[in-house]
Amino acid sequence: MLAFWKLYRRNLSAVLGLAILLLVFAVAATAHLFFPDDPFRLAGKSMSPPGAAGFLLGSDSLGRDIAAGIAHGAKTSLLIGLLATFVAVVTGVLMGALAGYYGGWVDDLLMRTTEMFQTIPSFVFAILLVAIMKPSIESIVIAIAVVSWPAVARLVRGEFLSLKNREFVQACHTLGMGDFRIMLGEILPNCLSPIIVIGSLMVATAILIESGLAFLGLGDPNIMSWGFQIGAGRTLLRSAWWVCTFPGIAILITVLAINLVGEGLNDALNPRLRERT
Amino acid sequence: MRISKWIGQAVVVAGVLVGGFSAAAQQSGGTFVYIVQPEPPSLASYLSTSGPIGLVAPKIYDGLFEYDNDLNIVPALAESYAISADGKTITFNLRQGVTWHDGAPFTSADVQFSVMEILKKVHPRGPNSFREVVSIDTPDAHTAIFNLENPAPYMLRALSGYESPMVPKHLLEGQDPRSADLANKPVGTGAYKFVEWKKGQYVRLDKNENYWKPGLPYLDRLVGRFIPDASTRTAAMENGEVMYGAYGAIPNIDAVRLRDMDGISVTTDGYSMINPMSLIEFDTTKAPFDNPAIRKAVSLALDRKFLIENIWFGYGKPATSALSTNFSATGLYAKGLPNYPANADVAAAKALLDEAGLKPDADGIRAKAVLDLIPYGEDWRRAGEYMKQALGDVGIELELRYEDVPTWLKRVYADYDFAMNVNYFYQLPDPVLGVHRHYGTDQIRQGTHFVNSSRYSNPKLDSLLAAGAMEADAGKRGEIYGDIQKILAEDMPVVNLFEMQFLTVYSDKLKDHATSALGAYGPFDRAWLEQ
Repeated sequence: MLAFWKLYRRNLSAVLGLAILLLVFAVAATAHLFFPDDPFRLAGKSMSPPGAAGFLLGSDSLGRDIAAGIAHGAKTSLLIGLLATFVAVVTGVLMGALAGYYGGWVDDLLMRTTEMFQTIPSFVFAILLVAIMKPSIESIVIAIAVVSWPAVARLVRGEFLSLKNREFVQACHTLGMGDFRIMLGEILPNCLSPIIVIGSLMVATAILIESGLAFLGLGDPNIMSWGFQIGAGRTLLRSAWWVCTFPGIAILITVLAINLVGEGLNDALNPRLRERT
Repeated sequence: MRISKWIGQAVVVAGVLVGGFSAAAQQSGGTFVYIVQPEPPSLASYLSTSGPIGLVAPKIYDGLFEYDNDLNIVPALAESYAISADGKTITFNLRQGVTWHDGAPFTSADVQFSVMEILKKVHPRGPNSFREVVSIDTPDAHTAIFNLENPAPYMLRALSGYESPMVPKHLLEGQDPRSADLANKPVGTGAYKFVEWKKGQYVRLDKNENYWKPGLPYLDRLVGRFIPDASTRTAAMENGEVMYGAYGAIPNIDAVRLRDMDGISVTTDGYSMINPMSLIEFDTTKAPFDNPAIRKAVSLALDRKFLIENIWFGYGKPATSALSTNFSATGLYAKGLPNYPANADVAAAKALLDEAGLKPDADGIRAKAVLDLIPYGEDWRRAGEYMKQALGDVGIELELRYEDVPTWLKRVYADYDFAMNVNYFYQLPDPVLGVHRHYGTDQIRQGTHFVNSSRYSNPKLDSLLAAGAMEADAGKRGEIYGDIQKILAEDMPVVNLFEMQFLTVYSDKLKDHATSALGAYGPFDRAWLEQ
């Protein structure tokens, strides 16, 4: 672990990304301490500019506190990002592992299915899924996971294909180990690093998709999120710029931080690649 | 998003080209692009009174009458009319030489069919407007004699092409009007002919060269564009892509800003026949809203002023009764009724809920409900978010639901699968036309839009409504409606929120667009563009 950190910290921007990301987590975790009220609460005068009427970042058209919305929205965004990524990674690993390990008709079946999903533009597909299922936090997580897993499946399949004929795997076969034990215990640990990297980047994409959906009015109307704030404020852009701007910056910074961390993980986990620059 | 915008622009460019080439006289010609928001579920104005249908269908279908801005009757398909001394026979002399867009002649048989078979049966408000019509005689092709059970003076206010369109008998006869093709390919006698409807993009109407008004219409083409996003609509208005947006198509906050721009004007004219009222409908058959006390508590807990000031930017008036204050001109509006505070009375609402036995649990929650929101734009979402907070304060926890128009209409009016629904209704120039449909037992009509979806039924109120419809004496009529409003203020089957004021935003190049009391729901036959 210590060795890993030594490798990781050699990339300064990755360390910066990690610091920002930890800050976002801290904001999400302490949101209820600093802003104990419901972020939908009509806290005061509507459309107050930042700093006025006790609003750090201003208030929106109904007098809701933008800062409270961002703090509580961080929770939603991270939760959706992590949850959707988790579901997508588990599904993708399962599909990719089975396809890569068994090959033949299993591979054909699973990969053709994967390709079918990949041919549909992912954001449009996500909109469709949420519209059909009715906007709610569950349907959004499902929609994001459904459009995200094919990339993981392709990656894992490739790794399994290259690893399954290695000597150590053949040795396991000769020792009489079962298929699942070989897949989970032997091959999977050897392809964890690309999965971690793609997973971390996927969190950023998931946050963006969620914000995009909420912006289009397909977010869960009962849960505060950054996309919701932007969507609710975009009609006010000309008269109250702060309503959209601050949540927008929050999304920008968080997604950037996650990308930096992902890049850092990539470098740290594949030390040889890091030397390319 | 980007693609639809691009196509939209292509449409405008094409429209401008065509319009430019065909411009002949100074006043004639041109393509008029306006906003239709949201996209209508169909163009069957004889089946549904859904707002956006009114923006398109009255350009295609005529009525027997039109109404000028002072609500005077202007002859349209009926050239003249005569009422018998007892008020029970009305004779309409129909205009000669009028043809449907497909070339077939318009005759008294069409009038008879439209009223008796369509409007009286499947129109949301028709059964009320024509409730007294027993039969229609057609002695010749250009005379229609309405035989009434009782005098029905309000009926003469309901004969516009928007409210009671005359539909072609030869295209509907023998079919189920609810599923007939005419809904998506309308054929009328109006100033414009239906050409095409590109779903998700626009509906196009072209000038009816054989229109019965000589020399009209001036415009060559109408293009009604569907632009789902409010700020895109505003931008389209600002850069001249569209020239007209009514019924809140341009959000009030932007309208207030555009008002100050050169070349764009804003008006509240053109809504005098509509009389819109925003409200909450309840499912009065299920707990907790089967209890009038709880519905009253909802009325007390909501701050009507806050809604108007913060969401509608001051355009509107708090409701003080089930009838709009506009009915004070005819003496029907009742003053000083309880349970309609302009500002929320949270303490009274809580007391009422306690009394009704709806006690808060450990988390302060007394009841939970889903609040459906009319999917007509951002303002309604904001209103829902406000209500969630305001009712949360008195212990009614709401979950918001915002769906597309057909799903929402089906949920509320066909499946009755809702608890509370934010909506707005047009009260129209007479309560018989616009208000009765909310409360009468005979208006519980599953599958028909904008009627008594609360399924409220009160025999005493029913008899008062019937009496009010028939009463010819203004003083007595006022008393009857006073009693009606008292019952409704106590029973609250519907919580009336505020009288809405719509804004029309339009380009100064567009002239004579508000020549009818129906404004945006009018025929647009005299509108013209400065070239």
